[in-house]
Amino acid sequence: MGHKYQAVQWNGNKIVYDVYVVLAAGVFFAVFFIIGLAPHGSGNVADPIVLAIRALGVAAFAFLTITLAIGPLARLSPRMRPLLYNRRHLGVFTFLIALAHFGLATLWYHGGGPLNPLVSLLVSGQPGDPFPGVPFEVFGLGAFAILFVMASTSHDFFLNNLTAGVWKLLHMLVYAAYGLIILHVAYGYLVTESGMAAPAFVFGSFAALAGLHLATGLAEVGKDGGMSGRKGPLGKEWVEIGDPTAIPDKRAVIAPLPRGDRVAVFRDGAHVYAVQNACRHQAGPLGEGALIDGLVTCPWHGWQYSPRNGVSPAPFSERIATHDLRLEDGVLFVRSKPNPLGQDGAYVALGGVGSGA
Amino acid sequence: MTFSKGAIEPRHADADIFVGWAGAPGVDRRFLLGLLPLGLAGLGGGAYAISAGLEDPGPGAWLTGATHEVEGVFARAPYPMLRLADASAPFGMRTALIVAEGKCTSALELDRLNGAPVRASGVLIRRRARSILEVPLTHTDWIETVAGPADGRLAAPPEVDLGTAALSGTIMDSKCFFGVMKPARGRTHKACAALCIRGGIPPSYWVRTPDGREAVLLMTDARGGPLSEEILPLVADPVRAEGRLVRVGDLIQFRADASAFRRREV
Repeated sequence: MGHKYQAVQWNGNKIVYDVYVVLAAGVFFAVFFIIGLAPHGSGNVADPIVLAIRALGVAAFAFLTITLAIGPLARLSPRMRPLLYNRRHLGVFTFLIALAHFGLATLWYHGGGPLNPLVSLLVSGQPGDPFPGVPFEVFGLGAFAILFVMASTSHDFFLNNLTAGVWKLLHMLVYAAYGLIILHVAYGYLVTESGMAAPAFVFGSFAALAGLHLATGLAEVGKDGGMSGRKGPLGKEWVEIGDPTAIPDKRAVIAPLPRGDRVAVFRDGAHVYAVQNACRHQAGPLGEGALIDGLVTCPWHGWQYSPRNGVSPAPFSERIATHDLRLEDGVLFVRSKPNPLGQDGAYVALGGVGSGA
Repeated sequence: MTFSKGAIEPRHADADIFVGWAGAPGVDRRFLLGLLPLGLAGLGGGAYAISAGLEDPGPGAWLTGATHEVEGVFARAPYPMLRLADASAPFGMRTALIVAEGKCTSALELDRLNGAPVRASGVLIRRRARSILEVPLTHTDWIETVAGPADGRLAAPPEVDLGTAALSGTIMDSKCFFGVMKPARGRTHKACAALCIRGGIPPSYWVRTPDGREAVLLMTDARGGPLSEEILPLVADPVRAEGRLVRVGDLIQFRADASAFRRREV
C-alpha cells in the first residue's frame, strides 16, 4: 500500500527478531571457534582463517536450512508465523554470512596468485588442464549468485516493480541454490574431512527439510482439491461453505476452490463477505488476517481492503476480487467465479436478512 | 459439521491479529521463546559436533609475529633456497626454501645471487625440522650479499643417490603445507595449492613411510629441475609414482617427471 521505501524496514519488533538471529549466530560461531581452536591431541592448532571459512560456510548452510524450514513449519503450526513474517530479514542475514564465506575463501585460497581470483575460482586454478574431479567451487559460486540476486531484490521496491509473480518465481530459485550448496559441500568439505559429524549434519538437515516440505506439500495438495460440500441448489458455480455463524467475528474461514484458488470468507458482526485469499502485495493469506477498522487486513504486512468491493482505502488504489455469497436454509455458499476487480460482492446478512450487491 | 470438508478453519479465534510488522501475539511469543533454547542448543550442538570432528591440521607454524634473519649461501635451482651451516643439524647444514609473500615466488629475480653468501630476513614458516623463509615480493631489500667467499660445501653439496622408490602420497605446495594454512590439504585446498605451484612455490611430496612416519620430499623432475604447471592436475589428490631419491645437503629430493605419477583411488 505504502510507496515510501526505506533501505531496511526495521521497527521495534523486527529489531528484537534480528537480535535473536544475531544471538543464534553468535552462539554458533562462539562454539565453533572455541572448540575448533583448541589444540588437538597432538598439540597442533588449526589456522583461524581456514576455521573461519569453514564456520561461515557451515553457518550459511544452517541458516539457509532454517530459513527454508520456516515456511512449512508455519503451515504445520500457526505459532510459527512470527518467524514467517520476518523471514526476509533472516534470508538477508544468511546471505551476509554466505558473502563473508565467499569473500574470505576467494581471497584466501584464490588471491595473491598468478590468476585473477575470480578466474581461479571458475577454473579451480587450472585453466586448460585436464582437471579431474568435480569443481566444487563452481557449485558454491552458482549458489552464491542466486543468493546475491535474491538478497538484492528482497526489498519491496523490487517486489512492486518486478510484480509479485516474477518476484516469487525469482525467489523460488532458493531451492536451486540449496541444491548447489549440497553439491558444493559434498564435493568440497565432505571429501576433505573424514569425520561423520559434518555429513550427518548436512544430509540430516537436507532430509529434515525435504520431509517437512513433502509433508506440508501433501497436506496443501489435499486442501487445494476443492471442498467436498454440496454444490447445492444454486448450480455448479456455487460451493458450500457451511454455517456462517461459526466464523468468529472479524475473522475468516478460507475455502479452497475447485480451480485451485482460495477465497476468504469474513464475518463482520451480522455481515459476511468473501474476497480472494491472496493479498496484492506478496500473495499473503488474507484469510489468516482479520477485519480491522472494518477492513480486511493482511497478516503479513498489513495491507488493507474493503470487504465489500476489495478496494484499498484512499489514497491507495490496490484492488482484490470479491466473490458473491448466498445463504440457503442457513447454509452459506460462495460463488467460485470472482467478480471483476472493484465490483461489490453479494454479501450475506445473518439473522434472516439477506442482502446483495 | 460446521464447515464443509476441506475448508481451512479460522485460526486464532481468540487471539489478537498479528500483522507481520507488529509484535507477535503473546501466545506465539511465549511459544517461540520456549523454542529458543532448543534452537540455540541445536545450533551450538551442530557447531560443536562439526568443529570437534575436524581432522588434525598437522604440525607447522607461520611465525608472522617476527622477522627472522639468517646467513647462508643462496641457491637458485631447482627452487630458491638458502643453505645454512649448522653443526647440530644432519649433514652439518639446514636448508630453508625461499618463497615470496602471496603465491608468486617465480617473480623473485634472484639469479644474480646464485652461489653467493648472503644475509636474508623474512618470516619463518616451519614444519618440524623443515623451514621456509617468506620474503617480500616487491623489493629485494630483504637480501644482501656478505663479504667473503661462499662455503663450497653449502654452495654445491654433493648429490647422493639413494636409489629408486615407488611411493604413494600427495603433492602439496610447500608454503601452505609447511604452516601457512592448517589444514592445507584435500579438495578445499586444491585450487590454492595449484595456484601456489603455478606461481613457483616448490611442490612437496607428502608420503608415509612403511612404519607410518611422515616424510616430506622436495619434488623435482627426473633430471633434478623444477616442476610446475605439468603436475597441476595431480595436486592435492592421492597419487603414486616411482622416482629416484636423491639427497642434496639435508634435503631429500623425489625426482620423477609428472608423467610418472598416477592417481590413486581411495
